[in-house]
Amino acid sequence: MLAASEPIAPARIAAVLPSCNPSQVRAIIDELNAEYAEQRRAFEIWEVAGGYQLRSLPEFAPYLRQIQTTRPLRLSPAALETLAVIAYRQPVTRAEVEHIRGVDAGAVLRSLLDRQLIRIAGHREVAGRPIVYATSRRFLEVFGLAKLGDLPALRAIEALGEDAGEVETASAAGKDAPVDPVEEDDDADLPEIETAPITH
Amino acid sequence: MPDPLERAPDAIAREWSSVGDSGYAVKLAIFEGPLDLLLHLIRMNEVDVTDIPIARVAEQYLEYLELMRELQLDIAGEYLVMAATLAWIKSRMLLPPDPSAIAEEGVDPRAELVARLLEYQRFKEVAAEIGERQLLDRDVFAAHAHGVDPTPDAEREIEVGLFELVDAMRRALARGGHSGAAHEVEIETITVRERMLAVMETLASREACEFEDLLAGDTPTLTRALIVATFLAILELTRLEAIGLYQGIDELGVPRGPIHVRRRGDAGDLGWQQRVSELM
Repeated sequence: MLAASEPIAPARIAAVLPSCNPSQVRAIIDELNAEYAEQRRAFEIWEVAGGYQLRSLPEFAPYLRQIQTTRPLRLSPAALETLAVIAYRQPVTRAEVEHIRGVDAGAVLRSLLDRQLIRIAGHREVAGRPIVYATSRRFLEVFGLAKLGDLPALRAIEALGEDAGEVETASAAGKDAPVDPVEEDDDADLPEIETAPITH
Repeated sequence: MPDPLERAPDAIAREWSSVGDSGYAVKLAIFEGPLDLLLHLIRMNEVDVTDIPIARVAEQYLEYLELMRELQLDIAGEYLVMAATLAWIKSRMLLPPDPSAIAEEGVDPRAELVARLLEYQRFKEVAAEIGERQLLDRDVFAAHAHGVDPTPDAEREIEVGLFELVDAMRRALARGGHSGAAHEVEIETITVRERMLAVMETLASREACEFEDLLAGDTPTLTRALIVATFLAILELTRLEAIGLYQGIDELGVPRGPIHVRRRGDAGDLGWQQRVSELM
């Protein structure tokens, strides 16, 4: 895990370790994490983007930021909103993103593509063959998600109308939301697509 | 007891001008767009999003736009479109129901706007929620040892390849590739198929070569047409799985460095040639 530059899949760990098969990897990782917690280590193993990665504990971020050599991650509200729309509605066209957010999305999409948080997933087979966007593997890594299904549930429309006046509680309430049982359109809000790399 | 709706515009104006006085006009662009601004106004008015007092909100909305103008903020076109939408809804609400429009009877002219607002609101909320996660390179940092040769893991097939490829082609076009002067008429007979064969020939003697070297070719007088044809040839060969495109990744897992073109299978494997012939 230390030598790998990206999350390493259980199958690869097992391939390197003859004594261990992929199904055992998770148990071993859990064991290691328990050990790290007990010894109050500064790191733990995360399951992200279909693999495992050794990461620092959040409480050490203020120190690590000072020695950070890479550009710190900054995501504007516009970037986060756009990412959210793409994550829950993918594959999605630029026009669809703009319709939901009510503003031009060109610059934000370019910036997200540059940062490899989203990818072009092909074309929609309609007039004009617009490009469709999807989230990338990097998106899962940055947001610490093992898979897309681990995204928090979108709040149901009905729940929104009731307390639209209370912003403060809005995001907290979202966490307890049911997995959209009353979703009107049939678009699955949490598509269970794995972000498979495009093979050339 | 003053109507809260009466006070709202003043409160907004104060909030805005106080920031304006500090000279940071840019900071005023706190709204992510007209939908965000509308949600804000609805909260200020303490009304239900499903029952918007449209005349009041439309008026406040326009006051906001006026304020933005005074503060010399650029008002994006979307804000004006929304202003027009609000005006339209307002007029529809004022008009007595049109008896001839039976189909629309009972349909609240606000319905579509309300649906959009609710939809936007849930994405805004979930965006804030995912923004609070422990994000890589902000809250948590991945541990990785340097100095270990990470091959073959470091070179994997690229995931977001299109832009890197186009970038590489742009560089190749900038380097060579005179466009063929305007007054000269050259008849070039370059075919993609020809370039495909040339690329495979280059790769016959070597396992791999750099993508940009292939585009640069060996002729100093490389024309744009040749570069473009070669680029298309490489894409086609990749699709036919005769070659693969690889790029190294840096320690953050971001593809970086030169793109390599690699032959798939043996040099003697001529299956790809058959596929080329079949296709072209």
